Amino acid sequence: MRELAALQARFGAGLEVAGSKAVALDIFNGESGQVASRFGIYRGNARANAARALAAAYPVIGKIVGGEFFSGLAHEYESRFPSVSGDLNAYGESFAAFLAVFAPAQDIPYLADVAQLEWRVHHAHYAADANPFEPARLRLVPAEKQLHLIPKLHPACSLLHSEFPLARVWEVHQDSHHGEFEVDFSRGPAGVLVYRPRFRVEVRQIADAESAFLAAAQVGETLEVALTAAHSLDVSFDLGRSLGEWIGSSVIIDFTLH
Amino acid sequence: MSLLSDPGEKTAVRGVGIGLRAAHYREFLDSQPRTGWLEVHSENYFGDGGYDLHVLEQVRSRYPVSLHGVALSIGSADGLREGHLAKLKRLVERIEPALVSEHLCWAAIGPRHFNDLLPLPHTRQALDQVVAHVSQVQDALRRRILVENVSSYLQFRVSEMSEFAFLAELSRRSGCGVLLDVNNVYVNSVNHGFDPQQALLEIPVESVAEIHLAGHSEAGDLLIDDHGSRVAPPVWNLYEAACRRFGPVPALIEWDTAVPPLDVLLGEAATAARLSEAAHA
Repeated sequence: MRELAALQARFGAGLEVAGSKAVALDIFNGESGQVASRFGIYRGNARANAARALAAAYPVIGKIVGGEFFSGLAHEYESRFPSVSGDLNAYGESFAAFLAVFAPAQDIPYLADVAQLEWRVHHAHYAADANPFEPARLRLVPAEKQLHLIPKLHPACSLLHSEFPLARVWEVHQDSHHGEFEVDFSRGPAGVLVYRPRFRVEVRQIADAESAFLAAAQVGETLEVALTAAHSLDVSFDLGRSLGEWIGSSVIIDFTLH
Repeated sequence: MSLLSDPGEKTAVRGVGIGLRAAHYREFLDSQPRTGWLEVHSENYFGDGGYDLHVLEQVRSRYPVSLHGVALSIGSADGLREGHLAKLKRLVERIEPALVSEHLCWAAIGPRHFNDLLPLPHTRQALDQVVAHVSQVQDALRRRILVENVSSYLQFRVSEMSEFAFLAELSRRSGCGVLLDVNNVYVNSVNHGFDPQQALLEIPVESVAEIHLAGHSEAGDLLIDDHGSRVAPPVWNLYEAACRRFGPVPALIEWDTAVPPLDVLLGEAATAARLSEAAHA
């Protein structure tokens, strides 16, 4: 397959963002000026397809920085982290890491954290489905064993922690948001929960005790261990109320007995 | 019976269908728009779950569905991406589509994926490679697939045959069907200067199992296959010729950029159905 491989390697080199413009185009029929201009269409398509996929995964970043700046970010990102998958929904995984170090993006200090949140939201959209847990099933477990239950979180669930009020930033940039646009950046660090009750991904700020509880659950700890973690931060943490809420919104979808 | 034959294939998909795009999900969930069948891009449903797959399963219960892949890259010199093929297989098992198709092109080399339909040199060596890949896909999916001719802006100097002779030979050797994109035939005939009617004669009558129709745009001396407008008059003419040559083959209206209201797509589909009936009257 050497000849085909060589032709594709040459074609591919010409498509790379970082590649030299002086690609040897004598592998194609036609006059060199026409060939160069036609090859430019393929370059443009590859660029546009990657940029479109990135914009679809990061709509809030797009709104924060505006279309023109986002195009520049997309171009720079692709030159450092080119697409490696035929599934364009997998493209953009390293955008937060890129934004954290890319100098022109440093004017907006929370940009990388928002990108991290958006990637979790994007991932949650395509995560596996899960049936809601039927709370009555908990009554089948003897009371003395209930704290030994290990909660199972929905595959779409994830937890983040940020110096910035991420959930509020995300909320005010949703198309469905019609209220105050103000974000209070003085409120200090906060936890964020990404979850998907059915098909619509939700994002909300959670208290430190809730974060601690869910983080313990996520790594397979029992209710008892998770509760201790929550109580160490807030003695008023109410297990029954939180479980009811999380089962109702499919954050917790099942329990196993330790 | 051969492992690759699929006797239900031709009967499941009939008449004219449309490409299902996210902009029209709601209408397909809330009502049952009249269309023969629906086609989606396979890769948009590669997730483990979620809304897109939910919608696809809902419409699958009411319409024949065709899975049209855009990124398997059956023309790659360095082999098929096993992970991509595994995801396609998982989707095919989940949806049980009436048709599965891919493009006669390449998109990936080494670690890189360009997410575009890039042209192949039409050489015997490339043909051997594509035949091997199509056979590998058909073995993995345990069914026959269709392979579509793509639009292109450049042709390789080393090509030894026309793209249609290449496609015909691919079909003969691998057993795959042909998904004939009439718009792409026309676009290439202008871009590369050949007679599109003659091109149809290079495709064996019995190999064509589906026809695609879409709009293109003009950029100087070049036609761009952007699927962003109505089917152009010369493409309708070529479609009529295709109907006469290939018989009552299922056809599909594709529209991917600046997707219009559903009624516009259904109107294009009605035009295709009328032309097809007239050709077979």
